[in-house]
Amino acid sequence: MANVTFPFPFPEHLITLLPEMIVAVLAMVLLLIDVFITKGNKITAYLAILTTLLAAVATWSLQSSEVLVAFYGFFVFDQFAVYSKMLIFIGTALGMILSLEYMKNEVNIGEYYVLMLFAMLGMMLMVSANNFIIMYLGLELMALCVYVLVAYQREVLRSNEAALKYFILGALSSGMLLYGITFLYGVTGSFNFAVMGEALQHTDSNSHAALMLGLVFLIAGLGFKVSMAPFHMWTPDAYEGAPTPVTAFMSVAPKVAGFAILMRIVADLLPAVQHEYEAILTILAVLTIVVGNLAAIAQRNIKRMLAYSTIGHVGFIMMGLIAGTADGFSGILIYLSIYLIMTMGVFAIIILMRREGIQGELLDDFAGLSRVRPGYALAMGLLMFSMAGIPFLGGFWAKYAVFMAAVEAGHLNLVLFALLFSAIGAFYYLRVVKYIYFDEERVAFNFVESKPLQATVVAAAIGVVLIGVYPEPLMALCKQALGGLI
Amino acid sequence: MVGLSQYLIVAAALFSLGVIGLFLNRKNVISILMCIELMLLAVNINFVAFSHHLGDLGGQIFVFFVLTVAACEVAVGLAILVSFYRLRRSIEIEDINTLQG
Repeated sequence: MANVTFPFPFPEHLITLLPEMIVAVLAMVLLLIDVFITKGNKITAYLAILTTLLAAVATWSLQSSEVLVAFYGFFVFDQFAVYSKMLIFIGTALGMILSLEYMKNEVNIGEYYVLMLFAMLGMMLMVSANNFIIMYLGLELMALCVYVLVAYQREVLRSNEAALKYFILGALSSGMLLYGITFLYGVTGSFNFAVMGEALQHTDSNSHAALMLGLVFLIAGLGFKVSMAPFHMWTPDAYEGAPTPVTAFMSVAPKVAGFAILMRIVADLLPAVQHEYEAILTILAVLTIVVGNLAAIAQRNIKRMLAYSTIGHVGFIMMGLIAGTADGFSGILIYLSIYLIMTMGVFAIIILMRREGIQGELLDDFAGLSRVRPGYALAMGLLMFSMAGIPFLGGFWAKYAVFMAAVEAGHLNLVLFALLFSAIGAFYYLRVVKYIYFDEERVAFNFVESKPLQATVVAAAIGVVLIGVYPEPLMALCKQALGGLI
Repeated sequence: MVGLSQYLIVAAALFSLGVIGLFLNRKNVISILMCIELMLLAVNINFVAFSHHLGDLGGQIFVFFVLTVAACEVAVGLAILVSFYRLRRSIEIEDINTLQG
């Protein structure tokens, strides 16, 4: 047999892409299977969850303490990527589980799960990106799938409108991101994060203006995706209009991917311009915290309120980026993990509230819940307290981790400011608890029974309590997960 | 002799036109899609100019990806727009007003 020689060196560590390949291939297989499935059959949903599980197992079994680089430095597989991907898998799987009941009457439901898988694939590529090309492609794959997911209820006007607004602003943000990348490319001559970071150390004052322009547009473009103020305008509309499981999915998984890539860029690319990016991010963080926590108070729709709450949380998470230390980064991972648990629990309860003729999304719909369903009321109360950051629930440790990191990095004023607004933010979380426990029932409760949803609620409530009482394992895990980043 | 800065100025002008068009435009959504396209093409000019200036092929490769993704983006955007038009019977910007707050 003749020796086959490649005209170029064969890519090393190709095996590290196994999880991505599994997801890509199985998602396409699912698309084919879907053709033969009758309406109302949930088999595609279960297969999609199974695919996520397989990808998670593959990622977990491939992990090593080394940093593995595949495709000539385009793709990096390290502890940090593994941990971020695990969060994305959990977020996607829970998003699918929440969809089982809510979306069962939609047509072509198989495509819905396939889109979720492709969005997940995009996010996986994003967190493993070591290069702006891969990052951009992953980001667009994610964004395009999420636009369609938001518009999935085709006969509902607000779903379409939300998708249209999200699409327009998302496309604008991609344009800005790309424009920023062009200038960074012009200054450094490369798309590889590490090479660019190295080149930025030696830039002269001539290219300073171009560098700043690139930095501002880059942060603005990525800021859109993680809904930093003043680039948050799409968030409330998209959250309110999207089907509730999609809202749950897009409030968690894309945020994890967005912050993962921001952390990688800050760690690899930007050390040379630390003062500049710190200044930009500090202004944005202050704005984000103010907008998120103040605007949430005025909302009557709980999905819209949670959208502003997300913006508030993003502001707090950004403080870890501003700190820019190992503690700051592990704080971000802790925050994202706990935020994932809380958000999924809350959205599971909101989906359970949907009943004949009522969306169950207004605060009024929650009035008097404790008398009818003390279990749900307790879970909702715990999750709201946790989001508010009341001590000895999960959310407290999330805030504690990023605030401490920011203090240690010397941003005491920013932390005091954030603490103040965190106290203001507690008001609207506690208001939900007031509705549940102290108000009279206004509309009859008539819950759908759904085991997966109830299990999610129970798991989330137990999760925040467990992490609240015993946070050390999670903190240790997140510290270890920084391997490869710093 | 046309140098790097001339290309960058043209690209910056096109990009600004795209952004301004996006925000000032009060008529309909199709022109928003055109503005987005304009922005992406300005980005492509930048990439090619820098790529030629630096003697590095990377920028020109990125242009192909941007072009491809832009096509996908418009396809998805138009699909959402058609679906919106079926319900609302209009693509005027003023009529995108159900969600507010």
